Amino acid sequence: MKISEFFETTRISFEALSSNKMRSFLTTLGVVIGIFFVVLMGWAINGLDSTLDKTFNAIGTDMLYVDKWNWAGGRNWRNVEARKDITYAQALEFCKRIKSAEVVMPQGRAWGRQVQFKNQLLNGITIMGVPHQYALTPSGNVFQGRFFSQFEDMNSADVAVIGYNVAINLFPDSNSLGKTIKIAGRSFTIIGVIEKRGTFITDFMDNQCYIPLSSFFGIFGTTGRSISIAIKAGSEEQLDEVRSEAVGIMRAVRNTPPGAEDDFAINESQAFREESKTMRIAVYGIGLGLTALSFIVGMIGIMNIMFVTVTERTKEIGIRKALGATRTSILIQFLTEAAALCFTGAVIAFVICSIAIYATVKIFDLAFPPYIPPALLLIATVVSILVGIIAGLIPAMRASRMNTVDALRYE
Amino acid sequence: MNTPIINIEHIARVYDMGGEKVHALRDVSLNIYPNEYIAIMGPSGSGKSTMMNILGCLDTPSSGIYNFKGLDVKEMDDNDLAEIRNREIGFVFQTFNLLPRASALKNVELPLVYSGVSRSERRDRAIKTLEEVGLGDRMQHKPNELSGGQRQRVAIARALVTKPSIILADEPTGNLDSKTGVEIMRLFQELWKRGNTIIVVTHEEDIARHAHRIVRIRDGKVESDTTNPQSAIA
Repeated sequence: MKISEFFETTRISFEALSSNKMRSFLTTLGVVIGIFFVVLMGWAINGLDSTLDKTFNAIGTDMLYVDKWNWAGGRNWRNVEARKDITYAQALEFCKRIKSAEVVMPQGRAWGRQVQFKNQLLNGITIMGVPHQYALTPSGNVFQGRFFSQFEDMNSADVAVIGYNVAINLFPDSNSLGKTIKIAGRSFTIIGVIEKRGTFITDFMDNQCYIPLSSFFGIFGTTGRSISIAIKAGSEEQLDEVRSEAVGIMRAVRNTPPGAEDDFAINESQAFREESKTMRIAVYGIGLGLTALSFIVGMIGIMNIMFVTVTERTKEIGIRKALGATRTSILIQFLTEAAALCFTGAVIAFVICSIAIYATVKIFDLAFPPYIPPALLLIATVVSILVGIIAGLIPAMRASRMNTVDALRYE
Repeated sequence: MNTPIINIEHIARVYDMGGEKVHALRDVSLNIYPNEYIAIMGPSGSGKSTMMNILGCLDTPSSGIYNFKGLDVKEMDDNDLAEIRNREIGFVFQTFNLLPRASALKNVELPLVYSGVSRSERRDRAIKTLEEVGLGDRMQHKPNELSGGQRQRVAIARALVTKPSIILADEPTGNLDSKTGVEIMRLFQELWKRGNTIIVVTHEEDIARHAHRIVRIRDGKVESDTTNPQSAIA
C-alpha cells in the first residue's frame, strides 16, 4: 500500500460516509455515547482531583487537628459519641507539652449559630474561637483587612474575622470591614475577611466566623464543649513525628489506660483523600461500565452496517479489484471507513461534551473547571479508531476475499 | 512476427459446481501480438466469458500455459494478478462499471491510485486521457449525468490511462444504441491506429467485423482463427 493510495482511501472513506449522512450518524451514535461517557468521567475525576488539592491546601497539608470526632467516618459512631470531651485545661496542657510542632493552639467551635447584621440574619454559621496564632495557618489567610492581634486576643476584644460566604451573603455589594455584626447577642466589629477556601465538598469552611478564643469562652463558656487543638507540623515530612508525639501526650493528658484505644482523634487533610477514594472508584466504575456498554453496542451497530455496506458495494469491490486493487487495498479501504465512522463519532462527542460540560459548570456554578484534559481526548480518539477497526475487521475481510469475477457480475 | 504479448497453450478451465465438473474451456491455444485488433466470438455458453476472464487475469486456467509478456500467469497469486491487471490490462465492460458516486475524472484516476501515482500526476494524466476520448468538457460529471456513449468513453479513458499492453473490451456496445455503438467502435479503431492492442469479446458479427482477426470459440475450443479480409487495415 502506497502513501498516495492511503490518502485517497481516507478521502474516499469520508466521501462514502457523507453520502449516507443519516445512516452514518445513527451508526456512530454508540461511539458518540461511549466517548461522551469517557470524557465526562475524565472531566469529573480531573475536577475532583483539583478540588481535593485545593481542599488540602486550604486545610493545610502539614496540619493536624486533635479532636473528639473523626472527620472521616468508618468508626462506630456510638463509641465516638461516648468519648469524653477534650477540656480546655487538657488542651492547654497539651499545648504546653508538645515540642515537635511549629505552632499549636486550642480552638473552640460552636456549630449552627446565627449571625446578624442590622435586621439581616444568617443561619448555620460556625463560630470559631481561636487564638491570634491562627493567622499563621493556611486557614487564616485574610484577603481583606487583617486577623486579630495578640493584644486583641488577650483582651477578649469584640472583633471578628468572617468567612467568604458570610461576607458575600451579608454584604453582597458593600465592604464589610468596620461593620458591626451580632453573634449570640454580642456585637463584634469585622476586621477581616478570610479568602475563599471551600470547594463543593468543604463548603462549610466559608461559613465560619473567627473571634478571639477568650471572647468565645465569654459567650459560650468553657464547659460542655469539646475543644480541638490545631497543630501545624511545619512540613509534611514532620507529620509522622508530630503525630506520634501528639498521641503520646494526649493519652497522658487524658489518662488513657495503657492498651485502651485512643479516646480522641487526630485528623488531617488525608482524611478527605480517603473519602474521595470511594468517590473516585464510583465515578470510574460507573463511567467505565457505561463506556464499555455503549462501545459494545456501538461496535455491533458498526459491524452490522459495515456488512450492509460491503454487500451493497459488491460491484464496486469487483470494479476496484479488476482495476488493480489488491486484497490489502480493499481490506484497508473498509477498515478506514469503519475507523472514519468512529472518528467522526468521537468528534461529534467532543463537541457535545464541551457544550455539556460548559453548560453544567455555568448552570450549577460548579467549582470544577470546565476543562477536558488533552490526553483524554487523545486516548478517546485512539480508542474510537480502534473500536472502528475491530468492528470493521470481519466485514472488511469478507470484502477483500470476494471473488473478482463474481463481484463484477453482482447486480 | 515479433514476440507475442499473450501466449496461451492448451489451457483448460474446469469449474466445480457442487461436485459436478463443468468444462468451460477445454483446449485453447492462442498468441496475441502487439498492435493486433482481435475479436473473440462465440454464442453464449461457448466459454467466451471464461476466456475473457482468463485473458484479463481475473481468473487463472486449471491447466495449460498462460504467459503474459513472458510471465507465467498460472503461478501468480492474488496480489500479482492485481498488479498485472493494474499495469497491463485496460478493461472496458458492457455495463461500463463506473463508480456511481465518483466524477468522470475520479473514475479515470482510479487505476492510477492503485499504481501509487501521486495525486497531481493522476489528475494530469486523467485529464489528458479524457480529452483524448473527447470528454474534456465532462470531467466533473458523475456517471448518471452522462449519456451511455459518454459513460463508455469514460470507461475507455479509464482503461487507457495506465497505458496498458492490451485493451480488453467485453461486449463494449452491448448497452448502447447502434449509432453510439458505431461511434465507440470508431474510437477503438482510432486507438488501434495509435498503436494499442485491442481484444473485443462479442457475439455480434457487426462488432467483430471491425477487427482484423476473428477467433471463434465453441464448446470451450477454438473453432476458427482467421484474419478478417473485410476490415480496412489502414
